[in-house]
Amino acid sequence: MISITDDIIIRAVARILIPFIQVYALYVIMHGHHSPGGGFQGGVILGASFILYLITHGLEEAKEKMSELKAGLLSTFGILLYSGIGLLCLIMGRNYLDYGGLSTILKVVPAQARSLGILGIEIGVGITVMAIMFSVFFDISTGGILPEDEEDLGVNR
Amino acid sequence: MNIFLLFGMGLFSLVFLCLYRAVFGPGVLNRIAAISAIGTKALVILLLMGFIYNRVEMFVDISMVYALLNFIGTITAAKYLEMKGEL
Repeated sequence: MISITDDIIIRAVARILIPFIQVYALYVIMHGHHSPGGGFQGGVILGASFILYLITHGLEEAKEKMSELKAGLLSTFGILLYSGIGLLCLIMGRNYLDYGGLSTILKVVPAQARSLGILGIEIGVGITVMAIMFSVFFDISTGGILPEDEEDLGVNR
Repeated sequence: MNIFLLFGMGLFSLVFLCLYRAVFGPGVLNRIAAISAIGTKALVILLLMGFIYNRVEMFVDISMVYALLNFIGTITAAKYLEMKGEL
């Protein structure tokens, strides 16, 4: 189990750095069609910020910010956003993920509707990747057994 | 000859010195420091590539992510060592 570090430098640097990492991740997601990046890359950076928090501040504090339940819910929410936008295009009489059909709902020209549609897709992908990255690290670092489960399972470590 | 290309090749040859320390280095701490130094060199080479291709604004984004993940990777390796309790 990962506990909080004794070193104040590591904790202070992480506390200062994490907001900048998250803002940069949002920039990578939002600016993905003009510069390198996109939903997956931004999601990885966003997940890395949570992993940094988990390493420096320990499992107990990290679970208050982002528990395993929250990560699971967020990962499915991202996929719901992705498939919801795709199905909305299908309902509007276009192909799946053909964002031009969103122009009547959003009341903009089709070109702008395509831009907004792909932005929604990227946000969904980013949320899912962030949650899955954190969930994978969480499972590996705890071995899938949380400290409060250890009495129930009779595991002595 | 392009001066950025020249400096990039010089840094690329320096990577091998760090790679020697990462492969044969005595102890784990030497290896972690060597991997971190290789990451920093790769970051500078990426920026020099941006100057060569005249697309610096794109390569700055990539190199920032590289620096970030390098930092987190080094901290994670150090944390793993701390938990295992062996140096």
